[in-house]
Amino acid sequence: MTTAATAALASELSPEAQLERIAAIGYPTKRDEAWRYAPHATLHQLSFGPSGAVDTDVLSEIDDQIPALDGPRIVVVNGVVDEARSDVTALPEGVDLSTPGHRVGGVADRLAVHPDSAVELAADAFVADAFVALNVAFGGDGVGIHVAPGRHLDAPIHIVMVSTSAGTHNTSCSKLAIQIDAGSSVTIVETKLGAGTEFSGGNTRTTISMGDNATLDHIVVQDVPSNQVHLSRTEVTQGAGSELRARLFNLGATYSRLQYDVHLAGEGARADLSGLYFGRGDQTLDQQINVIHAAENCTSRQAFRGVLDDESTGVFNGAIEVRPGANGTDAEQSNDNLLLSNRAEANTQPRLEILADDVACKHGATVGQLDDEAMYYLRTRGIAADEARRLLINGFADQAVHDVGIEALRTWIAQRLGHDDE
Amino acid sequence: MLHVKDLTASIGGTPILKGLDLDIGEGEVHAIMGPNGSGKSTFAHTLAGRDGYEVGGTVTLDGVDLLEMTPEQRAAAGVFIGFQYPVEIPGVNNMYFLRTALNSVRRARGETEIGARDFLAVAYEAMDLVEMKRDFLNRSVNAGFSGGEKKRNEILQMAVMQPRLAVLDETDSGLDIDALRVVASGVNALRGPDRSMIVITHYQRLLEYIKPDFVHVLVDGRIVESGDHTLALRLEDEGYADFVNHGLDDVPGRPLSGAPR
Repeated sequence: MTTAATAALASELSPEAQLERIAAIGYPTKRDEAWRYAPHATLHQLSFGPSGAVDTDVLSEIDDQIPALDGPRIVVVNGVVDEARSDVTALPEGVDLSTPGHRVGGVADRLAVHPDSAVELAADAFVADAFVALNVAFGGDGVGIHVAPGRHLDAPIHIVMVSTSAGTHNTSCSKLAIQIDAGSSVTIVETKLGAGTEFSGGNTRTTISMGDNATLDHIVVQDVPSNQVHLSRTEVTQGAGSELRARLFNLGATYSRLQYDVHLAGEGARADLSGLYFGRGDQTLDQQINVIHAAENCTSRQAFRGVLDDESTGVFNGAIEVRPGANGTDAEQSNDNLLLSNRAEANTQPRLEILADDVACKHGATVGQLDDEAMYYLRTRGIAADEARRLLINGFADQAVHDVGIEALRTWIAQRLGHDDE
Repeated sequence: MLHVKDLTASIGGTPILKGLDLDIGEGEVHAIMGPNGSGKSTFAHTLAGRDGYEVGGTVTLDGVDLLEMTPEQRAAAGVFIGFQYPVEIPGVNNMYFLRTALNSVRRARGETEIGARDFLAVAYEAMDLVEMKRDFLNRSVNAGFSGGEKKRNEILQMAVMQPRLAVLDETDSGLDIDALRVVASGVNALRGPDRSMIVITHYQRLLEYIKPDFVHVLVDGRIVESGDHTLALRLEDEGYADFVNHGLDDVPGRPLSGAPR
C-alpha cells in the first residue's frame, strides 16, 4: 500500500468519518434480520467515545477471573493494553505484537504493519453496521498479532478483553488484528471479561487473516457481568488449505452478541466452528454465524448448542453462502437447544444461499427439554433428581467443551458452568 | 425379602397389573414369563418407581414399603433394574456416571463415599465379569453402544451397585448367542445368598443360561401359574396359548400365585 493510499484509508477510518457514516446508515433496528432479537431499548443506552481513565480498584476484580494459561498474555482494558496485567516475556520467536515494547502509534502505523488485514478493514468499513463504525472510530490502537511463516506455536496466545464503564461514556471499543502467515499454526484464546457494577458495554472486533495452509485454533470465551452488553464481531479470511477451528462460549452479559464471519477464500480451506451458549435469568445470547464459500473444495462445519434456563433467550442465526464457482463445497450446520424452563426461548434460523453446483449442504436444528427417560434411568441408579438434572445438562453442554485442547480452559469453563448451578 | 401383594398398576385409567402377588426369598432367582402385553415390563418399572402409573397394593423389600419411595430411594434400599432398552446419555462419561451412582447410594445409606482410585478397582473387577475393555469407561453412557454392549453395561452397573434385588427386564432381547452367554455368566456370578433376582423374559432361551429357582407365568396382569424351571420348558413347547385363550377365572384348579414353598 502506498503512503498516499494509507493516508487516505486512515482518513476514511477516522472517528469523524465513522460518525458521518453512522449518521447516514443509522443504527440497526428490529427490522434487520440479524438484529431481530437484540434488545434495542438496551442498546440505545450504550454511549461511546474515546478510551478514558479506568478506576483501578474496580479493575482488580478481574484478576481472579482470568483463566491461567501457559504462554503470553495480553490484557486490554477498554481498548488500551494494560501492561501490568500482560506478560509477553514468553513470546515465541516469529511472533510480533503491536503491544508495549513493539507498539504501533495509530491506525496508519497499524495498517502499515498489518497490510493484509488493513485491506479487509478498509473494505469492511464501507459496508459494516453502526457498531462496527463505532469500533473503528473509538477502538484506538488495538492489538496486532503477526505470526511469521512456518511457525508452530505450542502455547496459546491469550488475549483478555476487559470492558468497564469509564468517564463520559459507558461503552468501550477494542480491536484485535491477527495475521497468520503461510504454514503456521497457532492457538489464540480471546477471553472477554468485565468489571464494575454500573450498566456498561463492550464492543470488540477481531480481524483474522490466515495464509495458505495456516492453522488456527481460536477459542472465544465471553463471560462479562450481567450488567453489561457485549457486542463482538470476528471476521476471518482463510487462504488455500488453511484450517480454522473456532470454539465460541457465550456465557455472560445481559445481551451478548457473537458475530463470527468466515470467508473461505482459498481452495481447500476448512472451517470448523462450534459453540455453546448457556443462558439464565433474562439473558439474551445471540450467535450470528456467516460462512462464505468463495473457493472450490472448501469444507465448513457449524455445530452450536444452547442451554436456556429461566427467562433467557438464545439466538442462532447461521448462514452458509456458497458463491458461484465454489464447486466441491461441503458444508454442514447444526443447532441444538435444551430448554430448562417453559419461559426460556430458542430462536434458530438456518440461512442457506447456494449459487454453485456440486455442493453438499446439510443443516438441522433441534429444540428440546431434558429427556424424562434419561432422568428416570439415572434415578434408578440412585442418583437424586437434582444431581441427575445437572449430569444431563452438563452432558449436553460438554459436547461443545470436550474438544477444547487446553485443559486449564476446559476446567475454567466447566467450573463456570458448575458454579452457577449452586 | 420381597413381598408383593395385590399389586395393581394402570396408565391413564387402563389397568395393566390387576392384582399381582409374589413372594421372593433370600437368594432366590425367579423368572417371570409371559406373552407380549401381559404386564412384565410394567411390573419391573413399578418396582423401580417410574412416574406415570397409578399404583395400588403393597410391595415391601426387607420389610420396607417401596411404593412410597422415589426411584433413587429404591436404589438406595437395594433395588436395581436392568433396562430392556438402556438409555443413551451422550456427554455423560460412563465412569463418572458409575461412580456418581455408587456414591449416591452410599451417601443415602450413611456410608462413606468411595475415592477415585478405589472405585477404579471396583469398576475393573465388574468389567472383567462382563468381558468389557477398559476404554469402555471413558465412553458416554450407552451412546453408540451395540445392543450387546448396552446389556453388558447394565450388568456392569449391577455388579458395581451390588443390589439386594435385581430386576432384569428382557435382558436377553437383542442379544446374539455370544453376548447372551457373557451377560448370563455375569448374572450368575452375581448370584448369592444376599441377593435375589427377578428375571423377566419372553423366551425360555435365557433360562438355559440363568437357571431360575422358580418360574411364574404372567398373563393379563396376574400371575396365573408358578412352578420350577420345568414350567419354562413346558411353555417353550406349548406356548402361552393355553393361558391366553380362556378367561382366567374359569381355569379349574388355577394354582395360587407366588412362589411355591
